[in-house]
Amino acid sequence: MTAPKPSGKTEQNGARRILAELSVPSEPGNERWAMEEVAEAVRELGLPDATLDRLKTAVAEATMNSMEHGNQYRADVPVLIEVSASNADLFVRITDEGSGAPPAPDTETPDIEAKLEGMQTPRGWGLFLIKNMVDEMNVSGDENHHTIELVVHLDGQPEGGK
Amino acid sequence: MATRHLDVEVRQEPGAVVLDLRGEINGLAMEALNEAYAKAEAKDPEVVLLNFAQVDYINSTGIALIVGLLGRARASNRRLLACGLSEHYVEIFNITRLSDFMNVFPDEDSALTKAPA
Repeated sequence: MTAPKPSGKTEQNGARRILAELSVPSEPGNERWAMEEVAEAVRELGLPDATLDRLKTAVAEATMNSMEHGNQYRADVPVLIEVSASNADLFVRITDEGSGAPPAPDTETPDIEAKLEGMQTPRGWGLFLIKNMVDEMNVSGDENHHTIELVVHLDGQPEGGK
Repeated sequence: MATRHLDVEVRQEPGAVVLDLRGEINGLAMEALNEAYAKAEAKDPEVVLLNFAQVDYINSTGIALIVGLLGRARASNRRLLACGLSEHYVEIFNITRLSDFMNVFPDEDSALTKAPA
């Protein structure tokens, strides 16, 4: 795993400042390392605790999705994560080497009643959770890469802490 | 970061069997969670309480495992309750509608004393 660039060496990228760039081997459990590193990278933004918890869950789920479905848990194929911020928004871009159509961002809400009745698999919560944890989820891709972009609007956030 | 596995202790309390969960509820927790629930079922309780007070991470696969337990409980006419969730995971139980099908309490005492019959 590659550690993020220190926040003191952030780069200017247009209107966005890059806060961290991570390379995460596609191995089960590494999503937790990724979410903690992203949390550390955005510390300077002073997000409220609840917003930070939601972001961490979204990052973990998107990273897990990329490791599993994009990179088929091949440890030598990394998931790349870029954390950046403008004055108005926080962006986390999570890229894998998946091929074919990227995951559909407008997946239906999982039907828990059908799951409880055994008519649907109990799984299938990942994209639903991501969409509900951040302000925007954008999906893009080409023949060799898929990217999930998470956006948190910084305008209107209450002061950091509880 | 090393993945923390799930440890589960099963104990009988008046009115319920309590599963004390410690660690992470992810795909690796399936065996421990299902074994512990089977031990609880063997006591034939009316109520099974999942105590999440020492759980620091639940992912979407973990949510699926909990849905599976809830399905098993409903199929055998048991009530599955939850307690000790952090505010964040209470929110996730609400978003996923898990909390529509299992009562969520702040702690074990309130779960055991206030659980609707």
